[in-house]
Amino acid sequence: MTIENTEELLLNMGPQHPSMHGLFRMVVNLEGETVTKIEPKIGYLHRGMEKLAESRTYAQFIPYTDRLDYLASPHNNWAYVQTVEKLMGVEIPERAEYLRVIFGELARIASHQVCIASTALDMAGWSAWSYAFRDRERICDMYEMTAGSRLTVNIMRIGGIIEPPAEFWPALKSFLDDTPEMLDEYNGIFFGNEIAQGRLKSVGILTKELAENLSITGPVLRASGVNYDVRKAEPYSIYDRFDFNVPVRYGCDSYDRTIIRMDEIVESIKIIKQAVRDIPEGPVMAKVPKVIKPPVGEVYHRVENPKGELGFYIVSDGTTKPARVRIRPATFINLQMLPIVSLGWKIQDVVAIFATLDAVLGEVDK
Amino acid sequence: MENKVLKEQVEKLATSVNGEVEEILGELVLKVQASNIIETLKGAKSFPNFPCDFLHDLCGMDLVDHLETVYQLSSLRGPQRLRVKAIIDRENPVIDSVTSIWQGSNFLEREAYDMFGIKFKGHPNLKRIYMWDDFEGYPLRKDYVTEPIEVRNIVRTRIEGE
Repeated sequence: MTIENTEELLLNMGPQHPSMHGLFRMVVNLEGETVTKIEPKIGYLHRGMEKLAESRTYAQFIPYTDRLDYLASPHNNWAYVQTVEKLMGVEIPERAEYLRVIFGELARIASHQVCIASTALDMAGWSAWSYAFRDRERICDMYEMTAGSRLTVNIMRIGGIIEPPAEFWPALKSFLDDTPEMLDEYNGIFFGNEIAQGRLKSVGILTKELAENLSITGPVLRASGVNYDVRKAEPYSIYDRFDFNVPVRYGCDSYDRTIIRMDEIVESIKIIKQAVRDIPEGPVMAKVPKVIKPPVGEVYHRVENPKGELGFYIVSDGTTKPARVRIRPATFINLQMLPIVSLGWKIQDVVAIFATLDAVLGEVDK
Repeated sequence: MENKVLKEQVEKLATSVNGEVEEILGELVLKVQASNIIETLKGAKSFPNFPCDFLHDLCGMDLVDHLETVYQLSSLRGPQRLRVKAIIDRENPVIDSVTSIWQGSNFLEREAYDMFGIKFKGHPNLKRIYMWDDFEGYPLRKDYVTEPIEVRNIVRTRIEGE
């Protein structure tokens, strides 16, 4: 029997859908279950960060950056304070650089754990979700010891960082000792799972050429076979002192986009171990003037956020407030692949493709 | 060393598109008029040896007497970096879209349109991206008046019996 008089169905997903990772909405045109067109609609979490920055002093804007990519808030602080330091020409103490690397890599692990967990959850894998979140709690505890908060950590200052308390170091050590076991568990319960593999493998192919043309960065780009990491390409902070690899995968599909985050956790642990070994004693704050007044100029600085390249472009007019703060959010730009690669896939595959992007709407909407 | 070779190429490009080169905190900045932007970016993309073929960022900027769009270019295969600025008339803010060169500029141009009112000629879907469609004004322009909170409350209170 053939069906005649078919009609295209317009489906609205989000902004309150659980698999939309926040307040993301997309309007999907469906032919049966097959996607023919996707239109992402964003802006439900738009707070006007760039406008707010223009009416605040340089130091007052640091807590706002926490609310960008709230799963990896140390990275946002880091990118912002480093841009201001570059503008002012401030050198920060050695110990502060090492602490920044330790917290940055811890945040990368936590963020990747959430990505793995939420991808599993979108594939209906409840147990894998709880395993990864259980381990992420330990990183949140370490944040809490140091900064007092668990999510929006606000740990960095212009010219340095907070010194963690004495109990931080044993907690970090026991966390690092347990990580191989954790990764085995994720592999066993999620990546080795037949259903997860079936749902993710060869779904949503993002070719290398398309990825480069779409300005995609981060793990999503590296899963398409491009060896590019800001930590290696343009080493900021002290990343040139550490021995680590940039994981690259060539599958270009959703499975590789997820499992590459496991490889990155392994590399992050390597970096943290080296940083703990080499960290010197000393002050954690540079001598910075009380009133921060960078000279006239402009700087574009980028760091490797867990989700991609996070850039800050700050224009100073010589006053205490910035003339323009431009945030280059990683997932906002990575999101552009969704309407292109999802075409022809089924509606449940769109959920998988979106999950592997690891979009955090705080960063997308600014 | 590399910077020197790149600088020569940028200067050569600048003379052909009638732009000027400056160096701000160690980074090359090429300033051109809005009408030459496609030619400039195509030229930068095909520099011999040091192609600036990856678009990192595109953003608008308000300098009170004129608007600007800023393009951060670099490459995935080399250390070269270049910032291109296009000067746009404030009264008639029109510039060519670069979506034909980099598809990735799609959302970024929509954002610049949303926040600064810069119209990108040839963009496939030039609509507001963050603000709702019937929003008036361009929030990141310097002359945009943010409504005081008292005024906002008056607008929102309902008249009794309504």
